[in-house]
Amino acid sequence: MRKLFNILAVVFAALGLVFAILPMGSIAFLPIILAIILALLAMWKSNDSQKKFPKWVLIISMAILLLVTVKVVFVKDKVVVDEQFMQENVDSKSEAQQELEGL
Amino acid sequence: MSLKKTVITFILLAGIQLAGAQIRPNETLVYNGSYQLSGMMTSLAQITMKTEPIKTSSKSYLRLCVQVATYTKWDSFFKIRDLYESYVHPYSLKPTLFKRNVYEGGYTKQEKYTFNAAGSQVSAYSKRRDKPAETENVNISANTFDAVTLMYKLRTVDLSKMAKGQSLRFSLIFDKKEHFIWIKMMGKETVSAGNLGKKECYKLSISAKTDKLRGVDKNLVWLSTDAKRIPCMMKFSIPVGIGQVTLSKATGI
Repeated sequence: MRKLFNILAVVFAALGLVFAILPMGSIAFLPIILAIILALLAMWKSNDSQKKFPKWVLIISMAILLLVTVKVVFVKDKVVVDEQFMQENVDSKSEAQQELEGL
Repeated sequence: MSLKKTVITFILLAGIQLAGAQIRPNETLVYNGSYQLSGMMTSLAQITMKTEPIKTSSKSYLRLCVQVATYTKWDSFFKIRDLYESYVHPYSLKPTLFKRNVYEGGYTKQEKYTFNAAGSQVSAYSKRRDKPAETENVNISANTFDAVTLMYKLRTVDLSKMAKGQSLRFSLIFDKKEHFIWIKMMGKETVSAGNLGKKECYKLSISAKTDKLRGVDKNLVWLSTDAKRIPCMMKFSIPVGIGQVTLSKATGI
């Protein structure tokens, strides 16, 4: 059981890290929280000499949790100024105006 | 003008104001578009709805423009740059020309609908990525709107007299086919409306006999009950997923 908790904690922590890098927003909390719970369970099932590994998984998961929290709270959504898209808009309007003239 | 005429004119104008909004030029509504992933809403794109006056040598039009652009964080993974334009009569909102230019993660599509003067036929041009352009004439019933115009037209409807559960039918041309859309009054709700604060809104359910809209009362729009009839929130359930659009900024209203 301890091994299973350790493996699942690592899998969810890795998934949390991937989600934290990708623009998944608050969804990244799901695997990270699971990783923390599983790491705690693994620690609870371990004797003193076996606690080192789940402890590190827990520390890493907490660090990812902090990273996601900072991203969700402080990084604002913004749209890049897309010159090409703006030009397409202008060209489309100009083309439409010519067509409307002919109708 | 006599006092009686002035009073009558004022009452009529007040009546028109209460009935539905008149769409004004130079109005800009900015929305945050979110998409449901693993049961949670994730911000995906910014949607901007703009109106502007357009003049030709003989006529005036109102350009209704909808731009969809993914947030920078998504651009590397799935870039969206969609442009929808409708050129309509400034008061009746009768469409003359509709253009759709879609770029979604490498997929492109261009469409152009030219409505004839009688409003009974549309010359539809479409071009998908790697496929030859197609042009065909589509017969439509009277008062058929394109998707963008319908959104604005809905704002001009007198919703105050609609009872809960009552429906209105509209005709829409989309993907070169005419569809009937039903708008059902669900009642009133107060929702957050960006820089406008909290707004009391009419909650409307949109349904159609098409596989493009999923579920019963899962496609919803909230229109403010004030004279502006601002769309404050939209929820949609389509084959590719569930999404939500919320107003973040309204200017020129």
